[in-house]
Amino acid sequence: MAEPVARKSEIADGATKRVDVGGQSVLLCNVEGEIFAIEDVCTHDGGPLDEGELMGDRIMCPRHGAFFDVKSGAALTLPAIVPVQTYKVRTAGDDIFVEV
Amino acid sequence: MATELKEQVSPLTAEALVEDYRYGFHDPENYVFKSAKGLNEEIVAKISSMKGEPDWMRAFRLKALELFHAKPMPAWADTAALSEIDLSNIHYFVKSTEKTEQSWDDVPDDIKRTFDRLGIPEAERKFLSGVSAQYESEVVYHSVIEDLEKDGVIFCDMDTALREYPDIVRKYMATVIPPGDNKFAALNSAVWSGGSFVYVPPGIEVKMPLQAYFRINTENMGQFERTLIIADKGSKVHYIEGCTAPQFSTSSLHSAVVELIAMEGARIRYTTIQNWYRNIFNLVTKRAVAHKNATVEWVDGNIGSRLTMKYPAIYLIGEGARGEILSAAFAGEGQHQDAGAKVIHAAPNTTSVVTNKSVSAHGGKTTYRGLVEIHAGATGAKTRVKCDALIMDDKSSSDTKPTMKIHEQQSTVEHEASVSKIGEEQLFYAMSRGLSEADATALIVNGFFDFFVKELPMEYAVELNRLIKMEMEGAVG
Repeated sequence: MAEPVARKSEIADGATKRVDVGGQSVLLCNVEGEIFAIEDVCTHDGGPLDEGELMGDRIMCPRHGAFFDVKSGAALTLPAIVPVQTYKVRTAGDDIFVEV
Repeated sequence: MATELKEQVSPLTAEALVEDYRYGFHDPENYVFKSAKGLNEEIVAKISSMKGEPDWMRAFRLKALELFHAKPMPAWADTAALSEIDLSNIHYFVKSTEKTEQSWDDVPDDIKRTFDRLGIPEAERKFLSGVSAQYESEVVYHSVIEDLEKDGVIFCDMDTALREYPDIVRKYMATVIPPGDNKFAALNSAVWSGGSFVYVPPGIEVKMPLQAYFRINTENMGQFERTLIIADKGSKVHYIEGCTAPQFSTSSLHSAVVELIAMEGARIRYTTIQNWYRNIFNLVTKRAVAHKNATVEWVDGNIGSRLTMKYPAIYLIGEGARGEILSAAFAGEGQHQDAGAKVIHAAPNTTSVVTNKSVSAHGGKTTYRGLVEIHAGATGAKTRVKCDALIMDDKSSSDTKPTMKIHEQQSTVEHEASVSKIGEEQLFYAMSRGLSEADATALIVNGFFDFFVKELPMEYAVELNRLIKMEMEGAVG
């Protein structure tokens, strides 16, 4: 039985939370009450995205401003070209589960 | 409140502006407005409301302002020169009808002498020095515009594009250079004004180069231009901006953003010649994206300015895309040309050529700063980088800082760099043929830049050759 990685009540709408799932850094993003999970790495420079701002369903890398769609992982603007890895999220009550 | 935000160049007209045209100034082009020095949310919001922009653009500008304040100055650059910029002592927005209402008497004598020697026509001199609104080319302009419109080509300034083609602007603007890319891209995103917008429909070849000169617009030579060029599938366009004659400006910071999008099979060539007056900081972000089998070429010449930081970039994201960056820089006394090129190979069988040549003289400094990156999986990618620096005397210097990040074994990378001093023997030989030392030096430097000059339209090439000769004599403003 998988352990929950975080609680939904910890992540406000429009906020993010970085968690470790099996050695993998995962960023949980609350988009209007729904949780999405992406790898916490900007595909442009390899740095983390967790200090980036979530605007709706897009997250902006804090270093060079590349935008990613947190639902599909798509790189929406340069300087990122490669999509960011997305993960399947399941919630049960307040618990969040991520498949890595 | 509004009166705190600006300096009233003309009390009546400025008042009319904030009082909703109480004094009967119905034509919004009839005022002169200069924002107060420095930058804050109110000024940015004011710029947006004066332009009558949609809410999303206002939000975009305000977010960009936040990023501008949050981002540090680039620590890797010429920090001594950058520290001379007093960001709080700049008017970030100037709006007028008849250009900046500058007087010909205010134009420095050395610039006037340069115009004389270059043989620049009277009307063009006034345009270049900001005295008159535009280069007198209306007749040519109208016939060009008619031809373009028949083919569905859109060519206008960015403010007009935002009003008339908001959907295209919203879809593509800032997708190549997002506001958070760097401090000066953020600044431009917050306060941009003017710049060109070009859209070429699929399969259309624009035969005549589009020149910024042709835009009948009062904000042609703004400090914070924003240019967006989109060449749809299989189309072709050549855009030219700038000029070889020195551009005088009372504002010391110029920070443009240029975004090029070449769709599948399209071709864009972007030619720039800039010769800023020696007080100007020219901090520009230029980037292109090339889709499958598309070609992008930057031809970029930099003369003058106090400090230029400009690294035209091409992201080759579609298979078979091709990029070429050809740049030339000349740094004279008290000047630093920090220029280079960036190419990112992100797809198989992409090719690129980077050629950079720089000359430093009379104590000037040139830096080549370049990046070539080949992503894993970009098999068959080929790149050739060549940068040559010529140093004219003991007071001048040059640095070469190339970076190569190669993540794909099956790719070909060539890099060649040279730094040389002007050869005594070459000079001696030329002078033994009866040339003066200045003529001989100019001949050698012109030969060094020949690869670049021959890519320019004739009138630019002729002027550039003359200008180099004058630079060698140390006679340019």
